[in-house]
Amino acid sequence: MKRLLLAFSVTLVATGAPAQSLSDLTSVALDTHVLPGYARLAAQSQVLADVAQDDCDAASPVLTAAYGDAFDAWIGVSHMRFGPSEVDDRAFALAFWPDSRGVTPRSLLGLISDEDPIGLDAAAYADVSIAARGFYALEFLLYDDAVATAGSDSYRCALIQTVTADIAILTQAIDAEWRDSYADLLRHPSDTGIYRSDEEAAQELFKAVSTGLEFLGDTRLGRPLGTFDRPRPTRAEVWRSQRSQRHVTLSLAALRELALVLSADDVQVHTAMENAFDRAQDRIARIDDPAFAGVSDPSGRFVIEVLQQEISAIRTVVRNELGPKLGVVAGFNALDGD
Amino acid sequence: MSLGQNWALWRGLMRWMAIKMTSRRRFLAGLLATGLVPKPTWADAGSPQYLSAGALPDGSYVLCGIGAANDVLFQIPLPARGHAAAAHPTRPEAVAFARRPGTFAIVIDCVTGMEKSNMSAPEGRHFYGHGAFSADGHWLFTTENDFEAGQGRVGVWDVQAGYRRVDEFASGGVGPHEIKRMPGTDTLVIANGGIDTHPDSGRTKLNIATMAPNLTYIQDGQIVDSVALSHDLHKNSIRHIDIADGQVAFGMQWQGDGEQNVLAGLHRQGEAINLLTAPDAQSRQLRGYVGSIAFSRGGKHIAVTSPVGGVTQVYDVASNALSYQIIAPDAGGVAARGTGFIITNGQGQLGQIDQGALHLGAGSSLAWDNHIVPVGV
Repeated sequence: MKRLLLAFSVTLVATGAPAQSLSDLTSVALDTHVLPGYARLAAQSQVLADVAQDDCDAASPVLTAAYGDAFDAWIGVSHMRFGPSEVDDRAFALAFWPDSRGVTPRSLLGLISDEDPIGLDAAAYADVSIAARGFYALEFLLYDDAVATAGSDSYRCALIQTVTADIAILTQAIDAEWRDSYADLLRHPSDTGIYRSDEEAAQELFKAVSTGLEFLGDTRLGRPLGTFDRPRPTRAEVWRSQRSQRHVTLSLAALRELALVLSADDVQVHTAMENAFDRAQDRIARIDDPAFAGVSDPSGRFVIEVLQQEISAIRTVVRNELGPKLGVVAGFNALDGD
Repeated sequence: MSLGQNWALWRGLMRWMAIKMTSRRRFLAGLLATGLVPKPTWADAGSPQYLSAGALPDGSYVLCGIGAANDVLFQIPLPARGHAAAAHPTRPEAVAFARRPGTFAIVIDCVTGMEKSNMSAPEGRHFYGHGAFSADGHWLFTTENDFEAGQGRVGVWDVQAGYRRVDEFASGGVGPHEIKRMPGTDTLVIANGGIDTHPDSGRTKLNIATMAPNLTYIQDGQIVDSVALSHDLHKNSIRHIDIADGQVAFGMQWQGDGEQNVLAGLHRQGEAINLLTAPDAQSRQLRGYVGSIAFSRGGKHIAVTSPVGGVTQVYDVASNALSYQIIAPDAGGVAARGTGFIITNGQGQLGQIDQGALHLGAGSSLAWDNHIVPVGV
């Protein structure tokens, strides 16, 4: 997919295609990135829920594979925190992380030890704490030493079925709203709409790139890095399922895809974006540290710190080149107020 | 006796002190008349009118005193990015606070331009970038995060003991940000922004789905009033405040999705909140973000800055409605000045807003950071 899109944008630039309007860029982003991303998420989540109905054993390779595929699809869209994903806090319910106070395992252990009937009913499950819902809760149910063995097998099995069914319900609702109405709001700005100009619509997508990169550098990498004196490998995202590095790889690819679409009409910005992403992606391709356990030893830590710097460098290009092109000014206070 | 008990003792002694004040004042006046007390005042610091943190092109950070002629009277290095400052009511001393989640605050002698002492947040706490002095200047109050509990605290520091930590109490919410003292009283007003963060995740917001900001009033360490907005506004983080005539103006930052055009309001203790309104076309230009808020002298107007939207808006207090809007790119700080307002921006400019117009001064290499704080208020 990444290669396809690259070929596509390079062609545009190389053949000197007529300058694309902001509206064209938004439409391409919707058709190649946003809508397929949410469709994939809804489809993989349904597969996950179906698999769990058949086989809810945490050790089942079919179940863990379905978990991996659906989680992959979520990471591919997790930077787009606007529109349908934010209705009823759906994205928060799908992805309660970081969990600095350990609310997820506490909530799950509470449900399991009480054998709370709400854990048996996917429709009612929307009322439990968001910390006990979504992909990160599911990781605990499948991989955590304590949660995945707590209470009775039958209740935990039912809970896995409920959590996956809830994920399917949430992701289908997001996907349907994007297709039915929200994409059109971005495609056709109006004087009374959420987006009133093509610039505002493109800026929403820009913000997704910018905040996605921030989360990647500061949270996905920053949390496990901690400080040199006190590295925190168990604060890495999804380290229990050994997916920490994978999430960074997938997130970088998704952010690249969107950033390249948004810069497709400007050779200079497009090239700068490509180069910056290339450096970070080449770097992570040479790292083999699935759970970022290496933050604790000097050499393993060094490569992850360098990767974090490469991501900062992408952010600089996004802020100084992509932003101004889309009418987003990078002021000292505007960028980083409080 | 523990330091905490000292603070409790102080609370109890306040009434007795009030009786003794008259004679004490007479005594001090006598000393001053003989010239025996060379106690420096703000005049000795060149009478700065305002304090503001800033960033230099080399990536270092400073706290500056700004004079009546918009001149920079002093520029004192800070170890990292600052946020706001608190000016001691009488002594020419200012405390510059680290931007959250920083743990340092620097006490600056504004006459010599030297660091007088420094404060470190206790274990398990970090600062939020704002603080306020008690009316008599004996105590400094700082907004802090008890980050393992995820609860806001107010730290109490003994000024005369060299800014020693003596106590703390609940801020009445999560993520307390700006704190101010009601002029003429020792009632503290705190904007509990509602956002939970933990240093292990930097500035990542952990509880947007369930955040619940409020405005809390505290006397003698006890919460005496707390007001919140309706549930549909629970993602509107109440961050900055200013006070005039017993009325609190507050500015908010929208953490939800989409557009939010209600971003400022007024509150008087014991009454209901009045939200400030503007036509949709203008209010959306704040882009869901108010950076600073200030009353004009006399309290008839309120200015709010939005560096994100590149505008500053002035509201009429009597009608709660927008008076006018000014294009002001990257303007963060605002404070009352003359009949209007002074604003600061990231291009190192100071500007004067009067009668619907902005007069910007020359730019400089110093990027003004977030807030400008009046001295002697």
